[in-house]
Amino acid sequence: MKRILPFIIILVVLAAALTSAWYLTRTIPASQNPAANQPAPASPGSPQASPEQSQSPVVTGIPGADPPHVLGPANAPVRLEEFGDFECPPCGMFHPILEQMRAEFGDKLQLTFREFPLVPTHQHALPAASAAEAAGLQGKFWEMHDLIYEHQNDWKKEFDVRPIFEGYAKQIGLDVERFKRDVGSDAVALRIMQDGKRGHSLGVKGTPTVFLNGREVSFENLPAEKLRVVIQNELRGAGQ
Amino acid sequence: MKKLYALAALLSLAGIADALYLTIEHVTGQTVRCTILSGCSEVLSSQYAVVAGIPLAAVGAAAYFTVFSLATLALFGYDIAGKILTPLVVAMFFVSVWLFYLQAFVIRQFCQYCLFSAAITTCLLVIVVSLRWFKPAAH
Repeated sequence: MKRILPFIIILVVLAAALTSAWYLTRTIPASQNPAANQPAPASPGSPQASPEQSQSPVVTGIPGADPPHVLGPANAPVRLEEFGDFECPPCGMFHPILEQMRAEFGDKLQLTFREFPLVPTHQHALPAASAAEAAGLQGKFWEMHDLIYEHQNDWKKEFDVRPIFEGYAKQIGLDVERFKRDVGSDAVALRIMQDGKRGHSLGVKGTPTVFLNGREVSFENLPAEKLRVVIQNELRGAGQ
Repeated sequence: MKKLYALAALLSLAGIADALYLTIEHVTGQTVRCTILSGCSEVLSSQYAVVAGIPLAAVGAAAYFTVFSLATLALFGYDIAGKILTPLVVAMFFVSVWLFYLQAFVIRQFCQYCLFSAAITTCLLVIVVSLRWFKPAAH
């Protein structure tokens, strides 16, 4: 018996590990990770958004920076609010998805961007947020926002990102000297802090976190094909 | 000797749990969202997290399971298992050192689960070195 006991123990541990893995893989929903084994949609071309979207509560939270950075009409039936971190890779991946949604839904979709730099996880998140906000003081937040996201892989590994962001400022036609002053200004810091406080009041813990008409969109619904369905459902609910 | 093998088996159980968790997180994509507390999203979404299409965490889970099996067999008197255990743990330690280097200097983010795994491998190395060091003389 003593000779076969270790083999029994090994088999028990193997069975327990495989059972745990099987159970957890089934209970944790797959997300937008390109490496993830996502379940196939019910039928080709008709992806299903996770059903909990319509059940998640509407939250309001405390106000963020005022005025917020908004694209799209104020009376749009669908209002999407993103809490983002410019250095966060999934936020960088989400950027073109939002561009795609804007192109598809036009005036029916309003976008709001809120700063949520994850400090200290991302060493350049705060300078990036400051650069975008400083550009916003000259009326070019979205231009800087787009440049920073689109070139995320160019600057995130650099030691000093300030000259890179100053280069972007020049590229989009900002007054660079004013931009340099504004990056470290109280006004910029206050805006980032206010957005962060709003995020915390809404329970934001990571990025990107997206709210659609005040309801949080689960992370698994952020890929384009699922987000499109969530927005369409919201439009149907608004009678559009 | 037996206590050390038992300790190695227990540590490798913790390693299996850690690596299995990371594998599931990787496969389901849960750690891809960035959070304040963890750099796991950067680490697990990096090119180094997958080897030949297989998540590195899954390879780690298999390695820890092999360590567990060998330590358990050695505990019950299978000497050959103890002999195989040493080079395996040494190899795992060097892989851990390489992964630590990648986190520190290439990805520049640390994932606490990866660090926990590295700590377990280091403890396993100390155990197998102790087993070689204090090996009783053959009669």
